[in-house]
Parts: sequence; structure tokens; C-alpha cells
Amino acid sequence: METLNHKEVINLLLQLAAMLIMARIFAEIARKLKQPAVVGEIIAGIILGPTILGYVMPELHEDLFQSHEMTNIALDGFVQISVVLLLFIAGIEVELQVVWSQGKNALKIALTSMALPIIAGFVVAYAFPEFLGVNINDRAVASTFFGLAISITALAVVARVLMDLDLFKTKTGLLIIASAMVVDVVGWIIFSVILSLSESGQEGIGVWPTIGLTLFFTVFMLTLGKALINRVLPWTNKNLAWPGGLLSLSLAICFLAASFTEFIGIHAIFGAFIIGVALGDSEHLTEKAKEILHQFINNIFAPIFFLSIGLKVNFIEAFDLGVVGVVVIVGFLTKYFGAYLGGRMAGVKRNKAMVVGFGLSTRGSMDIILGLIALESGLVSESLFIGLVILALLSSIISGPLMGWAEKLKI
Amino acid sequence: MAYLKRSSLKDMFKRIGLAIAFSPRMEALITEAKRLVNFFGSELILIHVGVKTEELEGQLDEILSRLGVEKAKTKVLWKENGKPAKKILEACREENVDLLVAGALKQEGFLKYYLGSVGRKIIRKAPCSVLTLIEPKMETTEFSKVVINGTQLEITPEVIRQGIDFSKAIAAKNVYILNEIKMYGLLMGTASEDTEDEVSGTRRQLVQDEITYVEENMKGIDVGDLKISIKVTGGRWATELARFCEKIEADLLIVGDDRSLTFFDRLFPHDLEDLLSTLPCNLLIIKP
Repeated sequence: METLNHKEVINLLLQLAAMLIMARIFAEIARKLKQPAVVGEIIAGIILGPTILGYVMPELHEDLFQSHEMTNIALDGFVQISVVLLLFIAGIEVELQVVWSQGKNALKIALTSMALPIIAGFVVAYAFPEFLGVNINDRAVASTFFGLAISITALAVVARVLMDLDLFKTKTGLLIIASAMVVDVVGWIIFSVILSLSESGQEGIGVWPTIGLTLFFTVFMLTLGKALINRVLPWTNKNLAWPGGLLSLSLAICFLAASFTEFIGIHAIFGAFIIGVALGDSEHLTEKAKEILHQFINNIFAPIFFLSIGLKVNFIEAFDLGVVGVVVIVGFLTKYFGAYLGGRMAGVKRNKAMVVGFGLSTRGSMDIILGLIALESGLVSESLFIGLVILALLSSIISGPLMGWAEKLKI
Repeated sequence: MAYLKRSSLKDMFKRIGLAIAFSPRMEALITEAKRLVNFFGSELILIHVGVKTEELEGQLDEILSRLGVEKAKTKVLWKENGKPAKKILEACREENVDLLVAGALKQEGFLKYYLGSVGRKIIRKAPCSVLTLIEPKMETTEFSKVVINGTQLEITPEVIRQGIDFSKAIAAKNVYILNEIKMYGLLMGTASEDTEDEVSGTRRQLVQDEITYVEENMKGIDVGDLKISIKVTGGRWATELARFCEKIEADLLIVGDDRSLTFFDRLFPHDLEDLLSTLPCNLLIIKP
């Protein structure tokens, strides 16, 4: 087996240290400013990447990130694992019980809040593919991808905002959380289906078998898979070291599921997400275990991923004000109004429906992963990806204050 | 939702129903029901689904006399052939039964109890509260340790009120009101963005919120001599209740039921369904 040489190892360790330190510093600054950590982590990446460090101190940037090819491959491995784990924890966050307890209302809000941005995003991207930077050769798929990317809600971010506003346990709060959970599940299913339709995604077994397998895998995992988990977990809890046994085994099955979905031609992250849902829904995965999984994924792997975005793209060179403007305006307005309408259809009062609208507009997690996959598969341009990142930053920053404001409105 | 306040324990369950099937456990069930009838000063309604014969009537009469059941306050309903669950529910409605007593099934060879399909159907559709006894006894069951579901649900204030009343009536020694912090893992995971002090502050606050909720709902309820403790855990309520009942070896678990069963509930079992499939102890389900 080929290994990294002395210099490459040092380089890799320095990369990881620099990334974690920068992510921490900026996450702390974000925290002081009452902003989600993800905002700080993305900004840290822009600073450490070609945009700022590469411009101000090109030699240092080259030494750190461009001097050893092997190191960069190893780092990419870390980033891949981070994405898989992020999706795994996103799946664990989905609690089907909470979704069912909110019933049809959560479903209405989630679906309208997704339908409007998907349709609007598709129309805009399909009509102006060259302006926005979607791949003209794969126009329909790329446009749907864009619509889907702006239709996602960041559950972890909105959970944080709701806690800070002391709204988490209110009726509106639970409705937002449940809707965000539905958005996640529906979003990832649509994602894996359209990815298999894309020209670049056809390395596997063909379109229809992939769609069939996606649905089969989802249904299987949430029924038989869950039943199996419910049998195995009590045994591991009782007989293996705790939380050691649970942590290593749950990560192992996460990687297994991820490799399986990658193998059948859907993206690896879909498997990680669905196994997360199945595992998180098991009553035998204790809340304490969830807390531990959250802590080590959110504070080690999430920063590595969110920071790595800034390393991949030059945010000044590829910046296009027109594209960013369109993405931000279309993204924010359609998501807000979609969720607002859903809220009104579900019989929520006007100001609460506004809270729901702003709440579901928070982004900064799955949408960025989606955008990155689209970028890497050549479906969208760097400018459009930058638009998505800026939309995520802006909506995460303004959603909290807007929710607080709407909550106090007397309408 | 406003619930009617009942004036005294005597009015809590005016009519107690019991379905009988001339099974080996029938006498034990009648004895248990008789004890409850005495506690609450209720009328006993015995429901039998099947053809009424002189022989069965005589047999029942003999059993009732032997067990010392007060016949003036007992009514026997003979429901001619039909689906048992449907006929029992029909009888409950006709007679305005307030509490239906039922026996659970025992898994062959194990100390595990569950509800059969008829039992579940009755619990789902019953117009009244249902008490499921896992092991009806001739010397009658003691309800010394009672656990009440205090999780934040719409019906909980009523469950706490009726649960305390019931515990007083049966002279329970210890009453535990168990409350769960929902999505504890997500909340604490999210809180890990804060400093250590803030995190422990959040943790304390989450626990305190649940205690305050139960205390608020206990305001104005006369607890008499009951020893009540409030316990807080994290997770899904049905699982946590079952675990807690097993841990302390509870005698009775009191939960509420105000759900309307939809297609999704059947596809993805509801919390209450989880409890019915493995009964940790005797179970009183309160309907509004």
C-alpha cells in the first residue's frame, strides 16, 4: 500500500490544524454576534482559501494547500467522510415521531415550501441557462438541481435559532422542526432520483433501476432495516462497551449504507442519510448517544466540510453580482412565500405563518452539499455555486432576527 | 380543551364494565372488578358475548354469590353472537360504562404480557377509560407503585388529575409522574456551540421546564396523603415509560389517549401502540 511520505504527513496535519483552528475562531466570532456557527466556518474557508490567503500570501497558501498532490487526495478523503457523517447526523435528527405528531400540517408546509422554489428555480434556470451558469447540455436536470438546492431548509440551523428565540417547544417551533424534517427526507429522495437522470450520473446501472432501487432502499431501511436495528441495538447497548460500541458500530453501518448506495449508482450520502433516519428513529438509540454523535460530528467533521468549500472556489474571481442577486432573491422569496402559504393553508395565524416562512428559509447545510455535488458533476458553474453559498450565509444571518420580529407582530 | 371536573372520587367511575368469557381467569377478573367497584362505589356491568343459556346463567350466578358480588349493583348483559370487540364496545356505549376492565395475554413461557387483537381493537375504539390487568388475581392486585405519564400532550392535564384521583382511591404508596424532554439529543447537540456553563445551564433549564409543566398542572389538585415524585428523562415517552416502569417494578401505569387513528398511525406505530405490544405492568388508559 502506498503511503504518504514524511513531508506529506506534516502537510496534511498542518492543513487539518489550520482548518480546525480557523473554523473555531470564526465560529466563536459568529457565536458572539449571535450567528450560527456554520456562517463563521464558511467565512473561515473563504479566508483560508484562494480568495483571501491565496491573494494576500500566495506562497503560504501554495505551501499549505497546493504543494503535495497526495496530501490533497488524503484531505479530500477527510472531506468526503465529513460529508457522509454530516448526512448521517442530519438523518438522525429526523424524528419520524415528531413528524407524525404534527401530521398533515407539517406535510403541507414542507411540500409547498419546496414546490414553489423548485418550480421557480427550474423556470429561471431553464429559461436563462447561460446567464445563471447551468449546464446547457444537461439543461433539465441541472435546472431541477438548482430549484432543489434553493428549496432546502437547514434543520440544525433553524433548531439553533428557535432555541435562541425560546420558540423551540412552542407549537410554531415544533411545526417548523417537523416541516424541516420532511423537507430533508423529500429533498434527498428527489436529489438521488434526479442525480440518476443526469448525464454524468449514469455510470451505474441505468436510470429506472436506480430510481427503483432508491425507493426500495428507502422503504426497506425504514421498515425491515429499522426492525433489524431494533433487534441489534438493545444487544449492543447491553453487551458492548458504552458508548464505544455504539459509536463505532453506528458509524460502521453508516459507511456500509453509504457505500451500498454509491455502488448502486445513487450518491453515497443518500445511504448515510437514510440509515441515519432509521437509526435515529429507533427507541434504543438513547438521547445521550445522539448527543455524543452530534457533538463530535458537529464540532470536528462539520467545520472541516464547511471550511473546505472556501478552499475549492475563488469567491472573488468567479463572483458574478447578477447571478448572486438572482439566486438570493429567487431563493429567499420563493422559499419564504412557499412556507408562508403552506402555513396559512394549515390554518396557522398570519404572524406565525411568517415565522414559519422565515424559519424554513434558514439554510446552510444540505443545500451547500447539494450545490457542491452539482458543481463537481459539472451541472452548475462556480458563479452559481457562489450564489448558493451566499444565499445560505444571508438567509442564516437574517432568518433569526426576522423570526423574532414576526413573532412579536400583532396580526 | 376543557374537561369536566368531577366532584368526588365516588363519581369518578359510576359504571365499571367487565367482559367475561367463562375462561379460567374469569373469577380473578371479577374479584378485581369487585374491588374497584367497592373503591369507587360504582355499578358493575358484566358483558358476555355469546348465546345465553340457562346453564351459563346458573354458573355465573353461583360464581357471583361465591365471590360475594353485590347483585343489586350488578347488571349482566348477554350479547348474542357477533364480533366480540364490536359487541363489547356496543355494550359500553349503551350502558354508559366509564371504565372497562380487561385482562392481558401472557406470552407462552415468558414473563411478558401483551394485548391480543380483540383487546387492542377495544382500547383503540373504547368510548371510556380502559384498565388492562396483566395478571388478575383472586386476592386482588395491589397498586402500590403508580406511574403517571406527564409528557407534554394535550390530554396530559386530565391524565394527571384523574391519575392522582385514581391513586388516592386505590391508596397507592408511591406515585411517580414521568416526563420526557423531547428531542433532547438534538437540543443538547445544538447547545454544544456554547460554553460549558451555558451548556449546563441549558441542560438544567430543559429539566426545569418539564418539572414546572407538571407542577403547573398539579395546581389546585388535592393530592391527599399521596407521596408524589416528578421524574424527568429524555427520549420518546412510551419507551421511557416502559423502561421506568420495569426499573422500579411499577404496579400500574396511567396514560391518556386522545389520538385519532389515521393510516399513518397504523403504518408507523404510535407511541401507545408500542406500549400495548409489550405491557410493562398494569395499564390504565384514560380517555377524555
